[in-house]
Amino acid sequence: MKLSLCAALCGLWTIAAAGELTALADSMRFDASGMVIEAGASPPSRSIELEGARGGYVSCQVAVKLARPGGYRLSVDAFPVASGLETDVYREWLHWVPAAKRHYPDALIPVRTPYSGTLPDPDNRVAGQTAQAFWIDVWIPERARPGAYAVTVRLNGDGTESSMPLRVRVLPGAIPADDAVAIDHNSYGTSWFSSQYPKLALAPGFYDSEQFYELIHAYHRLFYEHRGVFHQLGYGHGGKVGPEFAPRLEGSGKTRRIADWTAYDRHYGPLFDGSAFARTRRGPRPVPFAYLPVNPEWPASFLWWGEAGYEREFVNVMSAMEGHFREKGWTQTRLELFFNHKKRYKGFPWDGDEARFARDYAYMKEYARLMRAAVPAGSPVKFVFRADVSWTMERQFRELAGVVNFWVCGGGMFSWYREALPALKQRGDIVWIYGGTPPVSEPLSHMATDPLRTWQMGVDGFVRWQTVDPGPDPWFQSNGGGETLVYPGDRFGVRGPLASIRLKAERNALQDLAVLKALGSREEAARRFNGTIPDEWWTARPAIADTDPDDWSNATIDDAEVRSPKFANIDADAWKRVREYAMRLAGEAH
Amino acid sequence: MSARWILALTSWLAAAQGPGPLEQTARTASVMVDGDVCLRIETARSKSFATMKDPRDPWRNADNYDVDDEAFIRTKKTLMRLAKLCDSACDVNLWMPLASDPGRIQVVIRNVHEMSQFWPWGALNQEMPPEMKAVLTNGQRMTVRKKPGMISVLAPVYDSLGDIVGLVEVVSQTKPDPRENVK
Repeated sequence: MKLSLCAALCGLWTIAAAGELTALADSMRFDASGMVIEAGASPPSRSIELEGARGGYVSCQVAVKLARPGGYRLSVDAFPVASGLETDVYREWLHWVPAAKRHYPDALIPVRTPYSGTLPDPDNRVAGQTAQAFWIDVWIPERARPGAYAVTVRLNGDGTESSMPLRVRVLPGAIPADDAVAIDHNSYGTSWFSSQYPKLALAPGFYDSEQFYELIHAYHRLFYEHRGVFHQLGYGHGGKVGPEFAPRLEGSGKTRRIADWTAYDRHYGPLFDGSAFARTRRGPRPVPFAYLPVNPEWPASFLWWGEAGYEREFVNVMSAMEGHFREKGWTQTRLELFFNHKKRYKGFPWDGDEARFARDYAYMKEYARLMRAAVPAGSPVKFVFRADVSWTMERQFRELAGVVNFWVCGGGMFSWYREALPALKQRGDIVWIYGGTPPVSEPLSHMATDPLRTWQMGVDGFVRWQTVDPGPDPWFQSNGGGETLVYPGDRFGVRGPLASIRLKAERNALQDLAVLKALGSREEAARRFNGTIPDEWWTARPAIADTDPDDWSNATIDDAEVRSPKFANIDADAWKRVREYAMRLAGEAH
Repeated sequence: MSARWILALTSWLAAAQGPGPLEQTARTASVMVDGDVCLRIETARSKSFATMKDPRDPWRNADNYDVDDEAFIRTKKTLMRLAKLCDSACDVNLWMPLASDPGRIQVVIRNVHEMSQFWPWGALNQEMPPEMKAVLTNGQRMTVRKKPGMISVLAPVYDSLGDIVGLVEVVSQTKPDPRENVK
């Protein structure tokens, strides 16, 4: 997709004409006065021309700008029903970020058009606000016929009416349903519902209600609709398991058994059979990955660790879980045996997450043995043993071969170990890397960096370690959003999460990557993005890699992670150049 | 007498008992928890990092935190058994002062409910709370109600020389939240 700029009219964009409409591509953002936030980006235009492949979204933004405070009315015409094209319009919330001393737009509040608003927006409370931006998604179904479509965006404001065309060119190519890489959005438990959804969660009985499970599923749906994976870890560092993340157990020792599947099945049933996604545009599909509740305290009590009772409790319960999954036909999801605890949190004597010391590997080997005892050979249920690794990952790749088969590796450090990847893939292991999320203060193009890195490196996925924590006051005192890509809809009367501009940017990049994986080359994508070649997405093995990891610190690791300066200043148009390549390929497809 | 009255009376009696079962558990813990084993839980290497400040690496001490498995597991199992003496969900946490800085203390073993009135989540070690200092100094058990809805009984842990080397925090909540600390 692309947004063509009407050069003849570009000069008008800074002039506060009465009831002015301007437009931007999805790679930039408007501020509260209708100016472009991204430095060096193309200026807004007075028309919108998008192009996109079938089976995906194209996006743009329009800004309503008024010369003086007052009301306005924005409408976006519907595309002809026969075209299949559908439009979603969102009002962009401006978050005050104290650390940056400015507002950034991010949360997207769904609106119906015609939409009536006021500038300054009394809810958003931005002093001197003269422009309100809206994000527009156009869904192009796979059945859409290639060709040109157009509707009109209209504004009534300041006593005048203005309009601009929104043209969409549907390309012959289709976006593959499967992504080039899995982009995972991680989270922890559900206790945060009570602070993020006070209207919902403080009602008596909420945590047993349909609304509770619907809210969980709404998060999965939102990420899925944005081509992402969503994970919720269901236990704490001391081994406490949230009631909806595990079947209820009873008994001890040889009498320990699963007593009740009700909460677990309400939570996971619709995710494992795909029915939770029945009403999405992408269609129903089982979730590809999910954490198991297994930890050193569940299903076996750590009180029996090293004794016969531990093995009996573990094997009996996990064997019953395998049977339950098999009977239900829940065989599409990879169910992750994953240990998140760390010694520093004082619950258990070994690191499950990011193991630092080699003697901790013995625990993982023991759990692999217990799983083999619990799960019959040839079971169709897809259990995997996942380990999130950093310090000693290279040694773990060797010593835990055949034990761990799903590696989630610190992205920077993994780039030292290029030679390890072929061996891991050869033995059928899944390899992801992990990292954070660009905050709102970074150029929007940075949302594409990690998905592109993942594809360039040839690994299978990327985990953003926390994606649902917008901080105590995301609306008026934002912490920058580095730990969220969604916002609670509660204050807007939405019983679910709101997408962000950054999540939309990530989705659109993933669509392009899916096209590129099918039709394009890594070399050309890297060149267009930041003038690199694929080799530059790896780091030459540093000297520290051949020393004892016990002697490393984060400072010495940082010193070793020297990367090409081409990654230091990725410009606002970086992904736009990649997209033009992807769309050229989609346009040539048959 | 109606069922409602019986329930109310039972609740009143339970509240009037205050820390009774916790107090009993704490008293038993002082007998059962082996201070010599507790002293062997954190490794010597780990202790050398405990108070290290690295301006370029704020996680230097936590990343090097390490324990002796055998001593940890033996003690944790004792704490888990002690928790079974409580009449409702409770944790028995082990706390020990830092040898390198007696003004600081660290929780060394926590348990499944992750309850504590003293632990700021994630702290490797912290300033010695006055209540703990008192228990470590005079060996008297102490009941603490600092956080709403929580009650702790602190009790000393002794080694074979008769010295107080640490303390247990037996802690319970009036309204346990099944989802709290699932993170």
